Amino acid sequence: MTARISTAGMHSAAIAQMLAQQAKLSVTQSQVASGKRVQSPADDPIAATQILDIQRARAQNEQFGKNSVAATNRLQTAESALTDVGNVLQRVRELAIQANNATNDDLSLKSIATELRARLQELQDGANRRDASGDFIFSGFSAQTTPFARTASGVAYYGDQGVRQLQIGPDQKVPDSFSGYQVFMDIPEGNGTFTTAAGVHTGTGTIDSGRVTNPAAWVPGNYTVRFNTPPDTWDVLDATNAVVASGAYQDGSAISFNGVQVTVTGTPAAGDTFTVAPAGKESIFKTLDDLISSLTAGGNTPSSRSQLNTNIANSLTQIDQGLNHVLDLRSEVGARLSMIDAASDSRDGLDVELQQSLSDLQDLDYAEAISRMNQQMVGLQAAQQAYTRIGQLSLFSYL
Amino acid sequence: MANILSTGVSGLLAFQRALDVTSHNIANSSTPGFSRQGVQLGTRDAERLGSGYVGTGVNVQTISRSYDDLLATQMRSATSSSSRLDAYATKAQVLNNLFADSSTGLSASLQRFASAVQGVSNEPTSTAARQVMLSEAQGLTQRLQTYNSRLDEINTEINSRLTSETATISSIADSIAKLNQQIVSAQTSGQAPNDLLDERDRQINALSEHMNVTVVKQDDGAWNVFVGNGQSLVLGNTAAKIVAQRDAYDPNRMTVAYQAGSSTTDMSTTISGGTLGGLMDFRREMLDPVRNQLGQIAVGLASAMNAQHHEGMDLLGNLGGDLFGVGAVGVLPKSSNTGTGTVAVTRTNAGALTSGDYILEFSAGAWSARRSDTGAAVPLSGAGTVASPFTADGLSIVVGGTPANGDRFLVRPTAGAVAGMSVLVTDPARIAAAAPIRSSEATTNTGSASISAGEVLDASNPALRNTVNIAFIDATHYSVNGAGSFAYTSGGNIDVNGWRVAVTGTPAAGDTFTVANNAGGVGDNRNMLAMTQVMGQGVLSGGTESVNGAVSRFVGGIGVATNQAQAGADAQAIILKDSQSAVDSVSGVNLDEEAANMLRYQQAYQAAAQVIRITQDMFDTLIQATRR
Repeated sequence: MTARISTAGMHSAAIAQMLAQQAKLSVTQSQVASGKRVQSPADDPIAATQILDIQRARAQNEQFGKNSVAATNRLQTAESALTDVGNVLQRVRELAIQANNATNDDLSLKSIATELRARLQELQDGANRRDASGDFIFSGFSAQTTPFARTASGVAYYGDQGVRQLQIGPDQKVPDSFSGYQVFMDIPEGNGTFTTAAGVHTGTGTIDSGRVTNPAAWVPGNYTVRFNTPPDTWDVLDATNAVVASGAYQDGSAISFNGVQVTVTGTPAAGDTFTVAPAGKESIFKTLDDLISSLTAGGNTPSSRSQLNTNIANSLTQIDQGLNHVLDLRSEVGARLSMIDAASDSRDGLDVELQQSLSDLQDLDYAEAISRMNQQMVGLQAAQQAYTRIGQLSLFSYL
Repeated sequence: MANILSTGVSGLLAFQRALDVTSHNIANSSTPGFSRQGVQLGTRDAERLGSGYVGTGVNVQTISRSYDDLLATQMRSATSSSSRLDAYATKAQVLNNLFADSSTGLSASLQRFASAVQGVSNEPTSTAARQVMLSEAQGLTQRLQTYNSRLDEINTEINSRLTSETATISSIADSIAKLNQQIVSAQTSGQAPNDLLDERDRQINALSEHMNVTVVKQDDGAWNVFVGNGQSLVLGNTAAKIVAQRDAYDPNRMTVAYQAGSSTTDMSTTISGGTLGGLMDFRREMLDPVRNQLGQIAVGLASAMNAQHHEGMDLLGNLGGDLFGVGAVGVLPKSSNTGTGTVAVTRTNAGALTSGDYILEFSAGAWSARRSDTGAAVPLSGAGTVASPFTADGLSIVVGGTPANGDRFLVRPTAGAVAGMSVLVTDPARIAAAAPIRSSEATTNTGSASISAGEVLDASNPALRNTVNIAFIDATHYSVNGAGSFAYTSGGNIDVNGWRVAVTGTPAAGDTFTVANNAGGVGDNRNMLAMTQVMGQGVLSGGTESVNGAVSRFVGGIGVATNQAQAGADAQAIILKDSQSAVDSVSGVNLDEEAANMLRYQQAYQAAAQVIRITQDMFDTLIQATRR
């Protein structure tokens, strides 16, 4: 400890101390005024870095929220379009069943066909609908290309198979719609595994759409069910005309081969054939076109009536496939919407957590800060009083 | 009796002198650098009488100042450290405040741009969303450039500070030289010229506020002052100069040199301490790295964004071009170069870039490179020709012309990147939001396999957008465009023409998938989705750091450096204060002490006066006794 204190030094030290107290007080004051503990990166560099990271995470989270809203809106638009498609198909199904009634003469079939044409147009218009910003909703990536147009060979798809995805979480993307291909073109043919059709047709036999009894035994390929000269036996031939199975025909009994079954009813003539082919995809427009042309062809002879029945049965199968397909897509929409909801819940939870961490990092503990400020004010006041008292002490006062 | 009178008078004179000194002390009690003075009293030579030696009074031997050499040296060193740290911390605080606001700062600008990119990915056909993305890209660029021009302003401030600092130093050196001269001539009398000594001390102290100095004392009373690594700033009564001059590489940058006569020696690396040292250190340790890091972030962002943008397709069906442009690599020839050598440097790999600058030197017929900050050698591979350029740290260097031996070039890979940054896409339709290819399955497929949307691996492949059919020969083999037979694994990658798709599931023989030009794919957002990921991907520092991460580290780094500078300055301020009070306790004036001294000397003076009166009484008594 120094024995001598210089008078000037004493004054400047006292002033320096008061300045230091004031500086501390001013820091506390600006903390209290802004409510923030960390005023600049230098105050707490680690916290400052974490604050940036958390703010970024929150902004990103918020953006995912906006993306989710956009995705939800688009999925709801798709959902309502799909509902319309379902309703049209439902009406088409009713018309097909009505047409299947044997009491219909050609005239009434034609009038049914007329209504079907209107429904077909309605379906096509619905498939070409646009969203609020003028984009076609069912054209895949080609948002500005009219997706469906009629050509000589039916309604063709001019969009693509792309599906836009939106990011709704750090590692979560959700498709925001379906491509027109997926909705209208990608409908499984027949029963989904194979299709049946009448080949040579002179008798009154009709074939149903068949079913798979043993998927493992099914060998994809083209088969012909042929009725033989004594019209009570049948053979099933594969693409190389080798006999795969044969048996005796009984009206309405199952013809089984390679793990599948088809049922022929009525009286097929000898030499009549039915074909079984692996299922591809059929567009809903083609299904309607086929139905319309079948109805237009009429069914006033027993043979053509059975041909018509086969065709209507096939169309009904296709329409049911279409309806199921639309239902599948609608439940897919539901699944996506619930995925968005789940993501939104976890986002909300994350945001609360992030907000909490952010507040822990940067927000001021007011109780602590106010008590610190009071302490510092007392300190400053004491320093000021001590200075004025001690500064007055001088031997010269007594001379 | 004459003796008594003269003894009394000697006392009167001595205490008068003592009171002179005391009043001088009191008068200078607040003068900076003043050292308390005191009279050294001594007895006069005694007179030898038969009865012994009789004292003849007092005289003033000398007036000395209370001064401790060691404390003064400590004080100088504490002053220069404290000034350095103060100057450093003040400037660091400026940088810190520049990047402080987390809600309007760099990170926020990046985030707004990222959101705008997401906006386009939500609505790829919306011109409005695309325009917003371009505006935010512009905003981000401007934000970076605002920072950069503020850094330039700080650099300019430092330049002018260096000029004024060096002028002050030279003028202080002049006064020290003059004081040396006055002191030497005043000392010839044998007495110390206390106030001149104090003044010189004060000047040297003032000098040490500006830079670190070493003082060597001469026998004749002159003090020599040395700076840097042994340059003599003051030698006896002559003073050299410290001058600010343009940097040998960069004319926009001042540096410091020692000037004696007509020769100058660069002192930019040898100067230490004081405000001058603090400013130079700040520029080298914070300002330059911060500018380079900012450039590095800009280059990383631009190159990653551009690379992804190249893989996309815009609304017009063209492949994406560069989204951001950045300033070129700076190559600054040294002003003393004598050859005609040229150096052209381009960036080849943003991930390998460092935030350092390099010196490229031609010596003994060969080029070599080293870091300009650490001096560490950087190996160059290649021949330096256009066909085989030198490569080092993500740079490609082509040399030409005829350099002279010893010619040098300063290479600044990232410093100019931000200043030259621009958004190169101005037409919203030119934003490449879509991927250039799309995949589809044939309607006739009977298998259950599906194809992925596909991604671009190499946008520069000329056949990228050609139509390619992947046809399955059977369930386990496929051909590409009718040729070959490749083994199929479900989910395995199929890479053709610079793209990649994956087929998953069980295909049937004859199933066909097609990958083709995404013509008209204006609603596709795949490339935008990929771009939203870019800022979070490792693109810097050898692929280990994302742009977002680099920004956090950048801001945090400035915070840490400022925090350290502030803590260092605070600690040094305490050392300086202690040092000051140690000097004050020896040299400072205490008014109470002076008051006591004044009383003491006044009483002694009065007593000496009494002695003279007694002499008169004695003389009167004698006169009375002998009067008739």
